[in-house]
Amino acid sequence: MPRVIQLLDQITRVTGQTVRWLSLLMVLASCGVVALRYLFDTPSIALQESVTYLHASLFMLGAAYTWQQGGHVSVDVFYRGWSDQRRQWVNRFGILILVIPTCVFLLWVSWEYVANAWAIHERSQEASGLPYIYLLKSLILALPITILLQAVAELLRTFNHASALKESDRG
Amino acid sequence: MAEFMPLILFAVICIALMFGFPVAFTLAGTSLLFAGIGLLTGTFDPAFLHAMPNRLFGIISNQILVAVPLFVFMGVMLEKSRIAEKLLQNLGLLFGPMRGGLGFSVIIVGMLLAASTGIVGATVVTMGLISLPTMLRNGYSPSLASGTICATGTLGQIIPPSTALIILGDVLSSAYQQAQLKMGIFTPDTVSVADLFVGALVPGLMLVLAYLLYTGGIALFKPEAAPAVRDREPLTPAILIDLLKGLLPPLLLIVAVLGSILSGQATPTEAAGIGALGATILAIIYGQLNLQRLREVMDSSLQVTSMVFLIFIGAALFSLVFRGFGGEELVHEAFTNMPGGVFGAMLIVMLVIFLLGFILDFIEITFVVVPIVAPVLLAMGVDPVWLGIMIAINLQTSFLTPPFGFALFYLRGVAPPDLPTRVIYKGVIPFIVIQVIILVLLAFFPELATWLPDQIYG
Repeated sequence: MPRVIQLLDQITRVTGQTVRWLSLLMVLASCGVVALRYLFDTPSIALQESVTYLHASLFMLGAAYTWQQGGHVSVDVFYRGWSDQRRQWVNRFGILILVIPTCVFLLWVSWEYVANAWAIHERSQEASGLPYIYLLKSLILALPITILLQAVAELLRTFNHASALKESDRG
Repeated sequence: MAEFMPLILFAVICIALMFGFPVAFTLAGTSLLFAGIGLLTGTFDPAFLHAMPNRLFGIISNQILVAVPLFVFMGVMLEKSRIAEKLLQNLGLLFGPMRGGLGFSVIIVGMLLAASTGIVGATVVTMGLISLPTMLRNGYSPSLASGTICATGTLGQIIPPSTALIILGDVLSSAYQQAQLKMGIFTPDTVSVADLFVGALVPGLMLVLAYLLYTGGIALFKPEAAPAVRDREPLTPAILIDLLKGLLPPLLLIVAVLGSILSGQATPTEAAGIGALGATILAIIYGQLNLQRLREVMDSSLQVTSMVFLIFIGAALFSLVFRGFGGEELVHEAFTNMPGGVFGAMLIVMLVIFLLGFILDFIEITFVVVPIVAPVLLAMGVDPVWLGIMIAINLQTSFLTPPFGFALFYLRGVAPPDLPTRVIYKGVIPFIVIQVIILVLLAFFPELATWLPDQIYG
């Protein structure tokens, strides 16, 4: 089991640490938009749209990594003071009844929506825009998939940790 | 029973949040469970759930919120490259010899830092780490020091260009459209992020001024609580030049970013992009940027952005389910039957938001609560800019209020352990009084928020 956790953690980490570069690219691209518009007076819709694409990819692909790193806010007034075992139960329940159903729902409800975009290779409504709306829409599926992977890792970890606790109890 | 489902949903979410599982997942998951119950009992129309993919696409292609990661990048870059720290040191040198001078420096740096990061936690933590030890070492009363830091730390909400105001601006602009369409106005007025920025200027500066006056008053009447800095270096021209070198560039950067948005020269996104690049260039010039630090900045930008948008996604699911159970009509009816009309409705909303501020952050409240209440209030004739600024200052006050205020927790986390929590509580009380005074002033004189936007944008 620790192997599986490690592998899933690794996938999430590599994804996140790759995706974070998009924030720098976003800065550069948005400055490019400004430069083209104000300095050269040749606004580029494609570049402008690419900022949106970078932005969307940043958080849709980075949300699972953020979860792994503890970056999603929570109300931890009570949680902070609880024992490890109680926290494990909270996490287990949270993953099983909140995270996994939500991800499965998002996959189920969005599948056709994304498939339709692929079927027509949906492109930007602007003539000079990017012809990749279907890829942008695919992020809607990427979010629940990446979070599901991390959810499995987090779930296994709660059991792994509990069993470790039990073993140490046995002394 | 069924007509109260929206209220039950809201209450259950508030309780579920207390378990300390991430807010975004709790919002989405609990709402989904309720939708499931509604589907089984035939009280919920599945069409609402099928609107979700479209909502998601709306979120990922939102043109206004693109500014969020860019501003976060700029703020984290300024923070991680210790530009703020240098700023505080330099200002401390300048004002230090004055009684209360260090307090003034902390407030001014806090304001600039707040303007650049706009995230409460980050500002309070940074200020707590760099300012609190300096103030305590120089003999400031611990309660004054911690109160000043908590209060200036929360300024990030209100001093533009704040991330919080960008999000609020986006949510308010769609609420405003919705309200006007319902009233049968098909060429609706718009409210933009820039409107909110301009509207926040006067109230925000009033707050800063009030903080400064309070600190000045303490220095005047209780000099032992805010003494002059002892054994400082003499102020030589060399130090003065060094001071200007440290002070001017970040100041110019913030002013340029803000100025270009307020003057309508640039969209918030464009200004944020330039600001982020500017902060990076500053960090390079100050010799503070290396690969490791760049990675940290990108990592923080990724995490803060993901945090914000995952909450947005959770809140989108919540609002669909809330509406599916008829929550909108429920709120609308409650408000229109409220004794006291607009005033009564506004008062209730402010109270509810104040209390929710104890458990929820600005982002959650903006995405979850504002879309429910704002359309109704706006349809009753409330000005959108005024509403936004009222919400922002109200929440800022909530974050300062013991025992649950966020700012207090953040400061407690980084304050020395021998600083008693009650000293922190005692220290924020005068600042809460200031907040409430400004909030009441704003309630009775909406022009404080609306005058400047009217002058600039007509």
